[in-house]
Order: sequence, then structure tokens, then C-alpha cells
Amino acid sequence: MFAAETELKEDPRLQAIFEAIRVIPNFPKPGIMFQDITTLLLNHKVFKDTVDMFVDRYRDMDISVVAGVEARGFMFGPSIALAIGAKFVPLRKPKKLPGEVISEAYELEYGTDCLEMHVGAVQPGERAVVIDDLVATGGTLSAAIKLLERVGAEVAECACVIGLPQFKVKLDSVYVHGQCTINGKPLYLLVEPRLLDC
Amino acid sequence: MNALTGNSLKISRVNIVSKKFQRHSHSGNSVTLKSPNTSVNFQPIRAAITGAADSGETHSTVLPTESARDQLRSDMAASPDVKDGRIAGISAAIRVIPDFPKPGILFQDITTLLLDPKAFKDTIDLFVERYKDKNISVVAGIEARGFIFGPPIALAIGAKFVPMRKPNKLPGEVISEEYSLEYGTDKMEMHVGAVQAGERALVIDDLIATGGTLCAAISLLERVGVHVVECACVIELEYLKDGGGAAIRGEESAAEGGRRVGTG
Repeated sequence: MFAAETELKEDPRLQAIFEAIRVIPNFPKPGIMFQDITTLLLNHKVFKDTVDMFVDRYRDMDISVVAGVEARGFMFGPSIALAIGAKFVPLRKPKKLPGEVISEAYELEYGTDCLEMHVGAVQPGERAVVIDDLVATGGTLSAAIKLLERVGAEVAECACVIGLPQFKVKLDSVYVHGQCTINGKPLYLLVEPRLLDC
Repeated sequence: MNALTGNSLKISRVNIVSKKFQRHSHSGNSVTLKSPNTSVNFQPIRAAITGAADSGETHSTVLPTESARDQLRSDMAASPDVKDGRIAGISAAIRVIPDFPKPGILFQDITTLLLDPKAFKDTIDLFVERYKDKNISVVAGIEARGFIFGPPIALAIGAKFVPMRKPNKLPGEVISEEYSLEYGTDKMEMHVGAVQAGERALVIDDLIATGGTLCAAISLLERVGVHVVECACVIELEYLKDGGGAAIRGEESAAEGGRRVGTG
């Protein structure tokens, strides 16, 4: 769900988070309006609010694993993990993790890529949250969910700062209030993407 | 002018290796380290390692004078951080992976530290305690493991977080700094406008080996008028030569335990 659809609807923090994101047109290629969260990281109050919103949501959900997707998931995940007393597990591109790994391939527009996780990082039965800065196609998040489920963990939710509205569940072409899912898992998003200010 | 003058890099000894390095300082603030041709001698202590996260970097160091080494050694012994009980837990939580990314390298894997909430929290707390009253407004983290430690520190001390990235990752206008690898070069980038002249900065990475990436980060920040107060790493690979070590001359590198790089 989008935070604005929950009791946080009137939360003034959301507007500031939205406005702190910078749009870079035509990056990495023409036609793409890149959502740049580095400007959010430069604003201490807004960065703290972003982390706090996730922490508030997950601190009482019995989460023992925060899995962050390389590389921008690393910027948000550890702070959340530290605040809720969970471990942080980096999910990385191939050949970055030095120990024994399991891999999950996922599709790109052209070709495939792979996400890896260290063997032994997560135990069966643990409850996990997957964090990334943004969800677009959902390919990386899906791969992340699979990695965690393959080792017997339960993915309680996926969380991103930004998400495309396509993840809202539709029932008979009407958006179901408050429900975003990815591969059947709940998905919690703070804001929608910004358009370019003209 | 010494390289990295005005920056203090206090390096704490978590793993110790014995290695011979020659180091030269260049004009300005960059330090280029050339690779030694001699074979290296290792005196393993505990989980002695040579692991280099920046394994591709070339390095050479000029050993400092005897008096500088003595000063460093006594400074190290006097540092209160050395006795902090949290250090042992942090050190024990780091896993060594042999022959990664290539044979002969003992890689310092911090992912096991991240799986230990107490040790991870202690790591961050040690840095926060050190920096919270130093008027630091910028924490610059080096891709990618610097992104794991930097933001929690930045949030706790009220600073902004600035990612220092490999080429073509940052979407906006950037400035770049090239640095040497063992073979060839690499580049580090920072967004234009992320930091302002006069700001005080901390540079964070998980590990310092040769210092090449840290130097590139320092250069980027200083080019836009930022004062780099200190570089901080969880792990330092201390290079000892027959009981001596290579000090980054005139600097201290802060890491767990706050111990300086000692020579001798």
C-alpha cells in the first residue's frame, strides 16, 4: 500500500519526502525519468523521516531480517535494521559477496541479471523485509523474495521509498484501496514517482 | 606539503600483516601508491590477512622516521578506544574468506558483522561517539560497503549522506577523480552540489588497504572546498615490516579502537 492510503494520509513527512527526490530526465537512457534519491539523503530531517516511517511500521512486526538490494537498498536498510534490532543482509550483484552464495536470475529489458545472497545469512522461519529505493518492474524484488523463500524465510513485506502505481491491486479495473502487492507479497511504498517540474 | 595534510586517519589494528611498502606523496592532496616488486613476508597474527578490498590498487610507501613511529606507537597505547570492550566483539564478528577475489588474498568479510545486531550497533556507536561533537555536516560513503556504515552514522550525528560512486551510477552532473589500480585505473564520482565549500566531512569505508580509494574521495571533497576532518574504516590492514608498520605519514585513520597505524 502507499503510505498515503493508511492512517498516514495526512502525514506531513510524506510531502517533504516526495519533494526531496530529484528527477533526472533521460537517465540512464532516453525516455526514462530517473528518480534520484541522493537529494533526499542530503536533507537530514527528510532522510531521518524516511527511515522512521519504515521503522515505525516494522518494529512490532517481529522482523529479524532486513534484506537490502544493492546498492541503494544499502542506504536505507541498515538504519532500519539497527532501529528494529534485526540483522542486515545485503543482496548483491554477482561475484561481490565473498562467501558461498545462492543466486537468483531475473529478467531485464534485454537479457538477464542475477541477485546473490550469502548461504547461512538467513535461517528458516525468520521473518524478513526486503528494502530497495524504488520498484519499477518488480524484477529485482521478485528475485529477492525468491532468494529468501528458498532458504525458508518468510517475506513479511517488501518496502520501497518510491513505487509505480501499477503495483496497486486492481479488482474489476478498480484500484483496491490500500493494497499493493508484488508476487503476492504485500508491498509498502512511501511515494509515487515525481514527474519533471516544467 | 604532506599528502593528506590536515586529514587525520586513525587506523585501528584489527588484523595485522607484515608487508613491505614504499610510499610517495605527491603534490596537492593525492597520494599515488606504487606496487612493490619484492615478494612480501607475512607474519600472521590472529587471523592475519593481506586481504585488499581494493586489491587492484598499486601501492608503495615511504616509511616514516623513527621518531614519528615512536610517537605513533605511544599514541596508540594511550588511546582510550583500545580498551573498549566492544572492539573484541566487532573483530570476532568479521569473517575471513581466503583466496577472494583472487588467490593469496584473505578477504575481510563484514557481512557477518551485519548479521550480529549488537556488534553492528556497537560499530556504529563507536563512530558516532567519536564524531558527534566534531561539527561534521557531511558523511561521504564509498560504494558499496561504505553505504552500509555511512548512513546510520550520518543520521545519528545530524549530517547529510553523500554516496561516492563508481562511474556512470550517479544520474546527475558529477565530478570525477581517477585513481590507480594494480593494473590500470578506476574512477570515483560525486554529485555536483552535494556538498558546499566550508563543510566539514567524514569519509567512510568498510576497509582501508592501500588508501587509494580514500585518497580519491578526499580529493573529490577538497576540490569543492570541503574540509575532510577524518577518514574512518571498520578495518585496517596494517602493514608491518619486521615489526614495523607503514604509517600514513602525518595522518591518523579512525577506525574501531581508534588505534593509529603504527610502524616499528
